[in-house]
Amino acid sequence: MPDNQTGHHSDHHPDRPSDSSPEGLALIHPYARPFLFLGKESVKRNFIWLPVIGLIAMVILGYFFPPKHPAPWDFFGSWAVIGFAAYSVVVLSANPLFKLLGREEGYYGEGEVPVIDPAILAEGKIDAEINDD
Amino acid sequence: MTDLLNALMGNFNPGFIIILAGVLCTLTASHQIRKALVLLAPIAAGILISVQFNAPEVIGGIWHVGPLKLTTLRIDSLAIVWGYIFCLAGVLNAIFGLHEKCKITDSSALIYMGAAVAAVFAGDLITLFVFWELTAISSVFLIWKGGEGAFAAGIRYLAYHVLSGVLLLGGAVLYGHANGGDYSFNYIGLDAPGAWLILLGMGIKVGFPFLHNWIQDAYPKATVTGTVILSVFTTKLALYALARGFPGTELLIYIGAVMTCFPVFFAVIENDLRKVLAYSLNNQLGFMVCGIGIGSQLAMNGVAGQVIAHVIFKSLLFMSMGAVLHRVGTAKASELGGLFRSMPITAVFCLIGAGSIAAFPLLAGFVTKSMIISSAIEHAHGSPVMWAVVMMLLFASAGVMEHSGIKVPHFTFFSHDGGHRVKEAPWNMLVAMGLAAALCIFMAFPFGGYQFLYSLLPYEVDYHPYTGDHIVFQLQLLFAAMFAFAFLKRKGLYPDERRAEILDFDWTHRKLGRSLAGWMNAMWARLGANAAHVRDIAVDGAGARLHRMFSPAGAFSDASPSGLPVLLTAIMLVFAIIVTFVAGA
Repeated sequence: MPDNQTGHHSDHHPDRPSDSSPEGLALIHPYARPFLFLGKESVKRNFIWLPVIGLIAMVILGYFFPPKHPAPWDFFGSWAVIGFAAYSVVVLSANPLFKLLGREEGYYGEGEVPVIDPAILAEGKIDAEINDD
Repeated sequence: MTDLLNALMGNFNPGFIIILAGVLCTLTASHQIRKALVLLAPIAAGILISVQFNAPEVIGGIWHVGPLKLTTLRIDSLAIVWGYIFCLAGVLNAIFGLHEKCKITDSSALIYMGAAVAAVFAGDLITLFVFWELTAISSVFLIWKGGEGAFAAGIRYLAYHVLSGVLLLGGAVLYGHANGGDYSFNYIGLDAPGAWLILLGMGIKVGFPFLHNWIQDAYPKATVTGTVILSVFTTKLALYALARGFPGTELLIYIGAVMTCFPVFFAVIENDLRKVLAYSLNNQLGFMVCGIGIGSQLAMNGVAGQVIAHVIFKSLLFMSMGAVLHRVGTAKASELGGLFRSMPITAVFCLIGAGSIAAFPLLAGFVTKSMIISSAIEHAHGSPVMWAVVMMLLFASAGVMEHSGIKVPHFTFFSHDGGHRVKEAPWNMLVAMGLAAALCIFMAFPFGGYQFLYSLLPYEVDYHPYTGDHIVFQLQLLFAAMFAFAFLKRKGLYPDERRAEILDFDWTHRKLGRSLAGWMNAMWARLGANAAHVRDIAVDGAGARLHRMFSPAGAFSDASPSGLPVLLTAIMLVFAIIVTFVAGA
């Protein structure tokens, strides 16, 4: 199965020069260049600490700001538990649901993708020269 | 100036201006004139609305058609919310589509928008029906312009909406007849004659469960600008109709709660991100349907506020995906990724839209959606069923965070690098997205922002969104969902995006129904062939027998005893006498 059907785990696209090389950097939008660190694997892996810190802070603050209209199930940090559990249920249901409901593309025998004028697409592509400044 | 405008056009439904501009669009070949009409018509309609709305309820444009009294203009505190937001969305859509040179898109978009505005200001059910159908007929061209693959989806879209209109008309006739010919469109309630037909007609257009498939079928197949335009008007018009006709209808609470939850499961496995947003649309409509079902002042304010916010942030999300589709040529998550390198401004706007729909503090949804959830909590005290509804709404809130808050921006702009190096979106798209993003921030701004939003709502508002407990518990929910995403991703439990067709309830008519129709067609053809064969045998056999009896060489030409004809004649005579006797008796 081709990579683009299964999802990549390495950020750098094999058909493109590295973002840090001059050729690769020329293809990057000038506004995006200071934020290229967002594509680093280490940044992605450590992203988890942002919600962890936020979550701990909010759970502690929940002690000082109790709900004005408590629900029957409310306990310390209950909304965090609901958020984590609900999100996990949704995501973990994806694989069995996909097996149940997924069919090959074109299953209905109709075109599924809007036809985009090739000229518009060609106009949207860039090369090194266009964005070099 | 205001008085003059009111004197000239005081009875003129503002939607007519936009429809007229759409008709003019069909007549002009000039791209510039068409774009000027597309941009200026909703502005003119918005100005006219503000001029006309000089009393708590404005009634005008009364036409007598035979025994019918049609009220083509009724503006009040409920309708005005939809009127203003439709005009504002029209301006944003016009800017977003400035690059597109297509007479059909321009004119159908205007007529569609005008019909939606006119329907919102309709004072009776018959006028509502006329513009209800016009929205369907005019908007289908936006789908068909999506290419050959969109044709069948457009036909299905039309079938759903014409059926919706027919049900509305059927219900309206029963309702009006029972009310002595009064077709005024006010509170209907489920006990009124024809109410169930009207509710079902509205339910199709608002995407009730099992009637929702036209949204996910048609919207992702329309053109880049077409999808943005479509996402605004049809379902919101139906919401208005429900808010007008069925506020406080308990059934809507449960329908709305189901609507919030089931799309979440489809959105998580869907690969086409415009389809993900279409499921997300369904989910958000559920919150509003639920609010209409609760029907309290807080809930109805929440619904009206959420309509305003939702039109803006959902348009913003569809615009950002449209810009990606415009540049990359696909909106499939499996093909995208890493686009923040090429389209950083679009990425920021998309994140603002995603944060708004997920109801982050300082963004639009935080103020409006929480009004609906708060009204549900107020309504729930002492009712276990309503607490279950509240739990469903909270579950759906975490679900929104998954599909619209994280999945759409993550798989488009971050995630793995899909290798696409394209230009940033055209300037007009950026302007439209920028305005929508600014509105998302403004509507939740604590100092004058949400207060302005409140001034547009139908009832006096006594709700403070920025209380300590509200901010803390909303952030608990959202941070926990983000943590779950990061945790599941890190553990390799977050599923990869895969190319596939995901079956939904429309399988019943697109596959099962079609197969059944094909089978019935084949059976009918076979039955016809067999019937023809039997008929041929019967006709040939009867002909041969008659020939053998009556032809010159037949049996009757043979010499026979004279007694036989006499006997036959006598039998026929007796038969004739009996028939005559029975008939005479």
